[in-house]
Amino acid sequence: MSVPATYPADPVPSPEATGSAIRTSRLLKRYGAIEAVRGLDLDIVRGEIFGLIGPDGAGKTSTFQILAGVMEATSGTVEVFGKPAREARSQTGYLTQTFSLYPDLSVAENIRYIGDLRRVAPAEIAERGLRYLKMFDMDRFADRLAGRLSGGMKQKLALVCALVPEPKVLLLDEPTTGVDPVSRREFWDALAHLAADGLTIMVATPYLDEAERCHRVALMHLGEIHQTGTPAELRAGLHAKRLELRTTELAKAEQLLTQDAGDGREILDVQRFGDRLDLLTVDPENTTKYVEEKLKSPQLQISEIQTREPTLENTFVATLRSLGQEIRPEPFPGRYDHTDLRGQIAIGATQLTKRFGAFEAVKHVNIQIRYGEVYGLLGANGAGKTTTIKMLCGLLAPTTGEIQLAGETGSLRSQSVRQHIGYMSQKFSLYDDLSIEENLNFFAGVYGVPESERERKRNWALSFSGLEGKEKQLTGSLPGGWKQRVALGAAIMHEPSILFLDEPTSGVDPLARRAFWNIINRLADLGTAILVTTHYLEEAEQCNRLGFMVAGELVTEGTPSEIKNRQEGHLIEFVVDQPQGAADLLKQTLERWRVSLFGDRLHVVTDESAQAGIQSTTTQLAKHGIQVLGAREERFSLEDVFIGVVEKARQQGKVASED
Amino acid sequence: MRRILAQTRKELIQILRDRLALALVLVLPVCILLLLGSSIALTVSHLPIIVQDFDDSSISRELVDVFRASTSLYVTSWPTDRQPQDAFMTNKARAALIIPEHFGRDVLRKQSSPVQFLVDGSDSNTASLVAGYATAIVNAYNAIHSGATSPQPVQAQIRLWYNPGLSSKKYSGPGVFVLAMSMFAPLLASLAMAKEGEKKTILQVYVSSISAHEFLLGKILAFTLVGLAECVPLLVLLHFYFGLSFVGDPSSFFVATVLYSFCVAAFGIMVGAAIPSRVAAMQMVALGGFLLVFLLSGLIFPIDNIPIQIRWISNLVWGKHYIYVVRDAFLQGGGWPSTWLEVLIIGFTGLVFYTLAWRTMRRMQVKA
Repeated sequence: MSVPATYPADPVPSPEATGSAIRTSRLLKRYGAIEAVRGLDLDIVRGEIFGLIGPDGAGKTSTFQILAGVMEATSGTVEVFGKPAREARSQTGYLTQTFSLYPDLSVAENIRYIGDLRRVAPAEIAERGLRYLKMFDMDRFADRLAGRLSGGMKQKLALVCALVPEPKVLLLDEPTTGVDPVSRREFWDALAHLAADGLTIMVATPYLDEAERCHRVALMHLGEIHQTGTPAELRAGLHAKRLELRTTELAKAEQLLTQDAGDGREILDVQRFGDRLDLLTVDPENTTKYVEEKLKSPQLQISEIQTREPTLENTFVATLRSLGQEIRPEPFPGRYDHTDLRGQIAIGATQLTKRFGAFEAVKHVNIQIRYGEVYGLLGANGAGKTTTIKMLCGLLAPTTGEIQLAGETGSLRSQSVRQHIGYMSQKFSLYDDLSIEENLNFFAGVYGVPESERERKRNWALSFSGLEGKEKQLTGSLPGGWKQRVALGAAIMHEPSILFLDEPTSGVDPLARRAFWNIINRLADLGTAILVTTHYLEEAEQCNRLGFMVAGELVTEGTPSEIKNRQEGHLIEFVVDQPQGAADLLKQTLERWRVSLFGDRLHVVTDESAQAGIQSTTTQLAKHGIQVLGAREERFSLEDVFIGVVEKARQQGKVASED
Repeated sequence: MRRILAQTRKELIQILRDRLALALVLVLPVCILLLLGSSIALTVSHLPIIVQDFDDSSISRELVDVFRASTSLYVTSWPTDRQPQDAFMTNKARAALIIPEHFGRDVLRKQSSPVQFLVDGSDSNTASLVAGYATAIVNAYNAIHSGATSPQPVQAQIRLWYNPGLSSKKYSGPGVFVLAMSMFAPLLASLAMAKEGEKKTILQVYVSSISAHEFLLGKILAFTLVGLAECVPLLVLLHFYFGLSFVGDPSSFFVATVLYSFCVAAFGIMVGAAIPSRVAAMQMVALGGFLLVFLLSGLIFPIDNIPIQIRWISNLVWGKHYIYVVRDAFLQGGGWPSTWLEVLIIGFTGLVFYTLAWRTMRRMQVKA
């Protein structure tokens, strides 16, 4: 894609200047007695990235299908560039929630087919297809079968296919579910670029760090829009600050502070992360004192309290809570306490290696996870995470190396070892053609949960999933996020002392994710060792320790804070008058990963001191007529660090190869 | 037109890439034709029967020898002190010939001399065949013994046309050919169609503003071609293994074959469109493509044997009309004058399936 000659002066284009791209009025969709969309009024501006966030089952997918013109609304109007949605289909690109291209066609054949359907001239298909493939660094894979691409590349291919007819509107329904952080960042960089070229993009996402990259965000719940605004406006609308509290005994502090947290109290909300608690409060100063007082009597050491801006997630959670959406599951009816095991090694691996033919998927990995610890294994697609997990839980024999699991080193698949292990994967979870209750009964039986406890365990799993009273429903009919909740419930009914969770929260909304992490922390407090993988580094912060995998090697290990502190260089956030132009310009001289656009803010990673970095970048931009309106140093997010680590490893030749 | 071809090309690429599907289309029909075509035989040979000869005279042995001479029957002796029913119960025989004492004497005296022929009636088809053979053999025996002394008033001179040797292969070959043509292409078509709904790839199609006609025609064209490709090895096999070649003008056969491929492809697509689940769609095609054609089209079981109340159903079975055309092309050679109606009916049935498929798809929208 060529760099556009002019950039919109205003980062959020106003409707007056450019006109509406999508406009809906009292949009309503009814399925039988259920109203999925209830009177939706949207006005999306040309060239805008508009984010739609909301819990599972909020009606996002129905809205997208109506906007894409593939489903009729029950009532109300939808206009896409002044035409009814169905007639505007030639200008609409639509990425569905699941990969909706053909895995048995090659990349080029998929592009050709979609282009032909859209009546794009054959020469144009070839030319544009190649151009966009190059833009996404995928032109090498034109002959590869789509089914053999990694999750991130599949989504990029879907985007290429949607772009080949040169639509004016892109509708993206959770496009990054299951996509690794590096690909996710590239995907969003591409979206920012396209929006700057005038494409209107509407995107649904359950991940609020992605919502930060939208121009405007709307919060949808039960078919209605509750809040709309820029991310900054939404954050400000919360009228609260966030306190980061670091203390030695997180579990105790959390318990104490949660007791009297709630709306209208001193502390509005408590959320636990791997090495800190986040407290939401209206009055940070008073609350700081209150917390210090509160923790003094049980002699809890406070190592640090800092005041920060709330995140979008805080806003989201607060809003949904005020709508009564929060799941408050009953406490887990655990009988066993594994605390006596605490400190012992639950999962241990030395020099773990796995070769598939000539390909070394896992190289000399050493991991030690103790009982009571939550360990997060992070890595891009193809980095060897799943292979490692399969070896650690005994599903796959290592080529070389030793494994210790629940005190056993020999037969990892023996009955006694398996009884101590729980495993939940995003791919294999539940039987779609059984009802929820039947699934739970089945897993209770398979894992040998005693007859006398089954009823309590099952009721707990239902309350944890927020599905009480719906136990007769077929599992296949549940939205993805809900299925994951049931699956987690099923995986821990037998109270394993070691738990493997492979992308457990993929596609799960923020509120449910909190419930997930609540239970994960509870289990860890009971002494369970937990190994979890995720593509979402915001939630990875909730782990006690993290390991980053790149190309089969464990390259970095430590607590979230340690890892962030280890990162060299500085992150500077710029506010400029032409964000996309500035990003394009800087990418000409800096490596791609060092420059990222977050809505109207530009993130630049520099190896110089912060001051020098601001200076040199400002001068460079000024030379091209781009004015810097503000600049300050920001803390690295875990995602910034992760991408930095992966990119540096790549430069050293450890290519996390897709080839 | 371009979108139709784009659709067709995509389907063909997918089929060519799927080895299992290819095997289904090119290898399995050949296997079925070989297996079913050679095993379906409506005559019996070497059917075991027992003989209890209470007479044990030269005359009675002569009668038994006549039975022994038949290739259809395999005769063993059964001791006279055992019940013939033991032989039935232990599956040693399907029929028993019991020759009473004084049989030889009665024959010599030119008296009527009854013998008993017991038939195991549990398999009625075989039973009636055996009974028929027995009657024919006894008649032949009578003719020899009465000699020219009493000429028969009526004598039918039977000549068999079209299949003079009454070869089972020539009868069942075309039938199994039609069966194979009725199964595999529609099976693949329904799977491909149901998969689009199952995997939600249909949404990409909906959003592209391709019309239902273009979409369906593209798909049906692809599977019509699949059906025609399938037909080539089958015809080769019919010629070389079953010894069948066209008698007379084959043009009506070729037109009917193209229309029939279209008809079954449309059937498969219709099923896949109506039932967006691969498992269910497969069962539906198995029912329509296999059971109906197998049982109600005259492929093996003569239509005249179907009870009159439900015989009309067979007229609705598309395979029936095609079988008529195929048998005509290979055995009778009647050409257009005797098959034009069947060819029309095949084409019409295809249009009905197409219309039904179009009715389910015409909105090109998510059903809600």
